[in-house]
Amino acid sequence: MEGYIGEYASGKSEVAVNRAIDLFNQGHQDVTLVDLDIVEPCYTLRPIKNELQSLGLHVLAWETRETIGLGEAGNVLRAENKWALRRDGDVILDIGYGAEGAKTLNLLEGAKEEENLHLLVVVNIARPMTATVNDIVEYVNGMGTVHGLINNSHLGDDTDIDIIQEGAQMVSQAAKRLGLPLVATAAVQELAEQMNWRDCMGNPVRGLKRYMPCTLW
Amino acid sequence: MAEKVIQEEKRVFMTGNEVVAWGALAANAEIMYGYPITPQNEIMHYWTRLAPKNEREFLQTEDELSAGFTTNGGVMAGRRAFTATAGPGNTLMQEPISMAEAMRLPTVTIVQQRGGPSTATVIYSQQEVTLTTLGGNGEGLRVVYSTATHQELFDYTIKAFNTAWKYRFPTFVLADGYQAKMRESLVMYDPASKGIEMFPTEPFVGKEGTPGVDREPGHFRNTYNVEEELYDVLQEHFADYNKMTPEVAEYKEIGSKESKVVVIAHGVVARGAKAAVEDLRAEGFNVGFFRPVTLRPLAVPELREVANNADKILVVESANGQMDRLLKEAIYGCSAEMLSLFKPGVGITAEEIEARVREIV
Amino acid sequence: MSVQLAMPNCWRMESKPHKFCPGCGHGIVLKALGQAIDELGIQDRAVFGCDIGCSLLAWDFFNIDTIQTHHGRTNPVITGIKRANPNVIGVAYMGDGGGYAIGSQHLVNAAARNENITAIVVNNTQYGMTGGQMAPTTLPGQKTETSPYGRDVAKTGNPTLGPEMVSAITPDGAYVARGTVSNVKQLTKFIKNALENQMNGNGFSFVEALSTCPTNWRTNATDTWKFLEKEMSQYFTVGELKAPGSQNEEGQANG
Repeated sequence: MEGYIGEYASGKSEVAVNRAIDLFNQGHQDVTLVDLDIVEPCYTLRPIKNELQSLGLHVLAWETRETIGLGEAGNVLRAENKWALRRDGDVILDIGYGAEGAKTLNLLEGAKEEENLHLLVVVNIARPMTATVNDIVEYVNGMGTVHGLINNSHLGDDTDIDIIQEGAQMVSQAAKRLGLPLVATAAVQELAEQMNWRDCMGNPVRGLKRYMPCTLW
Repeated sequence: MAEKVIQEEKRVFMTGNEVVAWGALAANAEIMYGYPITPQNEIMHYWTRLAPKNEREFLQTEDELSAGFTTNGGVMAGRRAFTATAGPGNTLMQEPISMAEAMRLPTVTIVQQRGGPSTATVIYSQQEVTLTTLGGNGEGLRVVYSTATHQELFDYTIKAFNTAWKYRFPTFVLADGYQAKMRESLVMYDPASKGIEMFPTEPFVGKEGTPGVDREPGHFRNTYNVEEELYDVLQEHFADYNKMTPEVAEYKEIGSKESKVVVIAHGVVARGAKAAVEDLRAEGFNVGFFRPVTLRPLAVPELREVANNADKILVVESANGQMDRLLKEAIYGCSAEMLSLFKPGVGITAEEIEARVREIV
Repeated sequence: MSVQLAMPNCWRMESKPHKFCPGCGHGIVLKALGQAIDELGIQDRAVFGCDIGCSLLAWDFFNIDTIQTHHGRTNPVITGIKRANPNVIGVAYMGDGGGYAIGSQHLVNAAARNENITAIVVNNTQYGMTGGQMAPTTLPGQKTETSPYGRDVAKTGNPTLGPEMVSAITPDGAYVARGTVSNVKQLTKFIKNALENQMNGNGFSFVEALSTCPTNWRTNATDTWKFLEKEMSQYFTVGELKAPGSQNEEGQANG
């Protein structure tokens, strides 16, 4: 069980979706992807829910037709999502941002007791609130218990290897100060290949297929 | 004020609402008043995260009437004050804005358009053009910038404060839910590093000295006794507005003055329109592109030149002709035929625009 | 030797005689406010906001920075100023329609937030400027232009008790009182207490002033006074409802 958490637009959803698909492709039978964004609700996974389900994933997210007034009344926790941690197989949580960050997890049954839940903070150094080592440390410290960091530094379509490597250095330093592992760097497939699947700090690089451009944002 | 918010130019990746919060910080905005409404909420979310670290203030009010009137109070106290709203909130906001118009208060309002009428949808629309340019019980004495990119959201948020304080007309940055939520990279900078000087602010009330002793009291009103009195005041406002217009009216264009067909679009729709026109031009079509950046006031002389030269103008907007009505007023009597592609409350792709242009060239 | 000035120092001579009707209570409330401002020496810091309705006639009443706002919106305008410049002493001045009807959400929320401003609501039981319509404060059975057979409480409710409401929803630190133009000394004291409460940074300070409107009541001087003292006092109790840490000797003294 993994939960991806981080700044608004840090790339949580992209990393979470790709992680779920990777696990599925590695032969895991039961992979469930859960949309837990309740501040700016269900904007991310909702539009691609059907596509992901057709691949064979379980996706717990609202569907467009089920909601009314997205963002007005759409930030309602789906009953099914509340019980996500009781599901068999792999569970990948896409946790929204918000002033209370990881506290969204309190809404899930069994979150406190669940020892296998690993919370990974997705960091993009192009996000102004996590743009320096100090900012990242302060940000992660404010989140409560987390288990590792993911460097997902990017500039959208303008991403190049420099920003990813700069991110790798900065997030590594922050991870060291926090006493947390930097689990991986994430980069779009093409750049990941160019980097030969290792960042400049020696961390593994996860290749991302971009699903989010298919969504509204 | 504390040290500069943005020390050096930096390329960043953000959502549009965050861009506005950072733009307002960079512009040395001092206080935001706001009431939650989608899709502008993250402007407040990020302002409230950033404000205490930068010695800025925030007040969450009980509704948009209060958000607008407290903003009026904030600027009268001599602060760069702003608010943000959308849809039904923008409807309420028109009352305080009409006071700002009447009293020439330099308020800045960010509007992230949503679908209408009524509550409708929250993600995307261009249906608040009429309300934002001409709302309230008045004559539309406002400045409205319609942005298309995150870079522009940053640039024009800064510019809005300067326009407001320089000319003393309420000023708007008009974007939409899509721009508010989408992610895009941009370069953030300190305005001074680009030679942009923030126009100085000045209190209306609470100045130094005792009124009636050291200075005249400031007596500010929006009510008049007789029609002639109001008429005279408005004539002054109109004269100021007309004098300002050539200095603030902005547009962007591609070959609009020498093309037989010209596509006119604003805001995020202009991105698709521009892409469509560039494609068609690459194929050799005689097609131009015109994008009003200020919807109020419009760049009227340039629009008339376009409309007298082109055979056909295609107006594209995610509304049922709200910009179209403004354009028709501006180019009344010009020779071009006016055609339209209106999709109220729905996005319009470059492919759709291209297909429509192919039908009419 | 001291001379008792007929007008407070902060009144603006150029705009006197004022524009209120003969017998109107506004002039008395504004005199009480002027005296309180003089006594506290805050003419240089005060910002006066007036509403729509007869209160707007005070837009040039004082040698004080003044803003005439919209109907019901004076509380938010003064709140906006105070938040942006806490050195100002903000006074929001309105009638019962502005305070308790069209601007009631602003009054309720400014009170609940304990905004550090002073609000004064002049209660003359009807809408004066628009020609004497029923207001939230109209007495049961009272005839107005929109209650021509007398206010029917079954259909339109009972008179709004503003200070009682504000008192119930404000935290400690707020100041709440109801005065009357029939006791200027007491009213002046209440307004002064309210302004001092703001100066001390204690929070929302609120005074309702029972007032007169002979023009719309269609009353002569005797009947005007009678209505104020005999009729209005049946529903509206004069006195301090909330005062942080003060034992005001005039607290419960009525009229």
